Amino acid sequence: MIEVKDIRKSFGDVQALKGIGFTVREGEIYGFLGPNGAGKTTAISIISGLLLPDSGSVTIAGMDIRKEGRKIRNILGVIPQEIALYEELTARENLHFWGGLYGLSGRELHDASTQVLEMVGLSERADDPVSQYSGGMKRRINLCIGLIHRPQIILLDEPTLGIDPQARINILGIIKSEVSQGKTVIYTTHYLEEAENLCERIAIIDDGEIKAEGTLGELTQLVGEKDLVTINGTFTSDQARNFLEGVAVDHLEDNMVRVLVSESSAISRLLERFFTAGVSVGEVSIKEPSLESVFIKLTGRELRD
Amino acid sequence: MRYILLLLSNDVRRRLRSPLAVILMMCIPLVITLIIGLVFGRSGTVELPRIKVLLLDKDQGFFGDFLASGMQQGELAEMIELVPVEEAVGLEMMQKGKASAMIEIPEGFTNDLLDHKQVELRITKNPSEAFLPMIAEEVTRTMALILDGGMRIFAGPVGQIRSILEDGRWPTGMDLQGMLDGARDRLLLVNDYISDSLITYRTEVVSEEEKEEEAGFNVFAYVLPGSMLIGLLFISEIAMRDLLREGRTGTLARLFTTPVEGEHIVTAKILSTFVITAAASVVLLLIGRFGFGIALGRPAPLILQLVGTILMCTGVITFFYGFLRSERAADAVLSVVIIIMCLFGGSMVPIEQMGRTMLRVGRFSPVFWAINGFKRILVEDMGLREIVPNLIVLYSLGIVTILAGAILLKRRVRRGGWSGSA
Ligand SMILES: Nc1ncnc2c1ncn2[C@@H]1O[C@H](COP(=O)(O)OP(=O)(O)O)[C@@H](O)[C@H]1O
Ligand SMILES: [Mg+2]
Repeated sequence: MIEVKDIRKSFGDVQALKGIGFTVREGEIYGFLGPNGAGKTTAISIISGLLLPDSGSVTIAGMDIRKEGRKIRNILGVIPQEIALYEELTARENLHFWGGLYGLSGRELHDASTQVLEMVGLSERADDPVSQYSGGMKRRINLCIGLIHRPQIILLDEPTLGIDPQARINILGIIKSEVSQGKTVIYTTHYLEEAENLCERIAIIDDGEIKAEGTLGELTQLVGEKDLVTINGTFTSDQARNFLEGVAVDHLEDNMVRVLVSESSAISRLLERFFTAGVSVGEVSIKEPSLESVFIKLTGRELRD
Repeated sequence: MRYILLLLSNDVRRRLRSPLAVILMMCIPLVITLIIGLVFGRSGTVELPRIKVLLLDKDQGFFGDFLASGMQQGELAEMIELVPVEEAVGLEMMQKGKASAMIEIPEGFTNDLLDHKQVELRITKNPSEAFLPMIAEEVTRTMALILDGGMRIFAGPVGQIRSILEDGRWPTGMDLQGMLDGARDRLLLVNDYISDSLITYRTEVVSEEEKEEEAGFNVFAYVLPGSMLIGLLFISEIAMRDLLREGRTGTLARLFTTPVEGEHIVTAKILSTFVITAAASVVLLLIGRFGFGIALGRPAPLILQLVGTILMCTGVITFFYGFLRSERAADAVLSVVIIIMCLFGGSMVPIEQMGRTMLRVGRFSPVFWAINGFKRILVEDMGLREIVPNLIVLYSLGIVTILAGAILLKRRVRRGGWSGSA
């Protein structure tokens, strides 16, 4: 359904995308997981036709975005990361305007807006100006606008950013129901749990590159059955190397070492070597195989907001 | 077309929802007009260059002198420059438009008046000027009224005056004292001196085109066009600024995710600027009509002048927004541009008062042509023919700047040009 090939995009000196490619199948929910600045929004902007890539190609439903942009945009629903609404208008007026641009009118437009408003539970506030809404309510209307024309393909850019748990549950529920109706979805997030719970396949993106891609199972395979252990302390990498014989080292630098171990006894043996050598150890963290440990292995850092 | 209409109606609806900025901008001209109007009085006199009035005194008698000296006293002297002329010279000066009006005191005026005969003053007005001759006329009329009233009151002592005058000497204080004493008694009896005036006067315009001039001069009509232009330019600016605002708030980027194209967005924004400016100008003129009693002149010239002015405002602002990339830049640049254009165009100080150099410079400000056209229509009730130059300037400048601005804006407001909300 969506085929992205080697797209690159730079803003001046910043290489936001260093050549990414992936394929999203029809009816699939595809996750884009990455920290802030990874390039998620840039990728979504290119797929939605807002930005042109410096190179590479995007094909949606067999159509090239450069050639048949208008046709593609008609079947695309885009929910931008930044809330983009007309604050002085009511929710319903916003929906009527955006729905109108997608070719809806009259009864059809009215029914469609009523339906999406019910979906997000804001029917009763529909005729209040958006400026009087809370952040979570605005997020929900922001979502409604991308869905009003019942698009076949939905692109969501961090739709749950900074909202209360209840609104988040509401939004995630709506996305699940869209997928169950056969819609194709790209979902970007920097929340591990969302990617884990929602997405069929996940691309881990960092620094403008896709570091790994696959189902949750496939991704956790990357760390195998092993725990990911990170030891912080005061030592040089040469010092530490002495203690690491026979251990699968994932990453080593001064004052920090990350290793993969399959049993907990191995951890205590390793730490003992540090202690007997009189090296001070600060923090030790152990991650069981999970998307989080995969993420840390791939990007060298934890994912926090 | 459908997209443009949707975008346009959305812009207008949003402006109606948050009209405060536009309303404030509409208050500026209204307040200026009101203040100036109140200072100078409803049909009073604005501070004007001295009015040059020619006096053709064929009578050379006492009352001619009276009329002349009456016009050269106190405040009137500051307003009116009275120049005694010979008939030939006077007529030539009028023909060349070198004076605002000429007052002709006919031969035998003094004697006829003393004889209680009907006399006539002739006022010839310069057709190319509107209100200056009107003021001259007002003053003459007032003087004539005083003279007329005086004749009634002095009906008794007239004989006395005549003998004094015929003696060829000016009345002394004693003579006047005596006359006044007699007059006081009569004054109580005579209360109908307004009616059945002895002095009538006839007004003529030099050109063939004789039309009845409205006697009343509405000072608001003189002030409103200039102040209105300040308001309209700022309103156009507010309306067009919405484009940058949409860029900032992310709705512009979102529009690009819909089937809408950049040219739809730019076209709709220019149209909504035109519509919002037009609505404001119509409201201002209606307030002028019903609040300040300004006669709006004939419909055809008024409408054409109005549309031209709105085109010009929309165009100038669109053109500048073709270069301005942020709301801050717009703030810094446009208020200065608008103020300068208005200053040189005669919004603040009437251009007639600014001297010849300024008058020449003013012609380079589009605001001049807008104000000048409105004054011709509202103050002088001129027809289409007289505002043709104004219309040419306003329409051609408006259309050229709109097109240029649209091209400049389209280059920037396009898919791929906006980097989303980052
Ligand atoms: N319009 C822009 N101008 C300059 N740099 C940009 C722009 N948009 C994004 N970037 C840069 O590109 C990188 C990726 O940004 P973005 O796609 O927004 O990441 P994410 O959505 O994953 O947080 C960041 O380094 C960001 O600073
Ligand atoms: Mg982002």
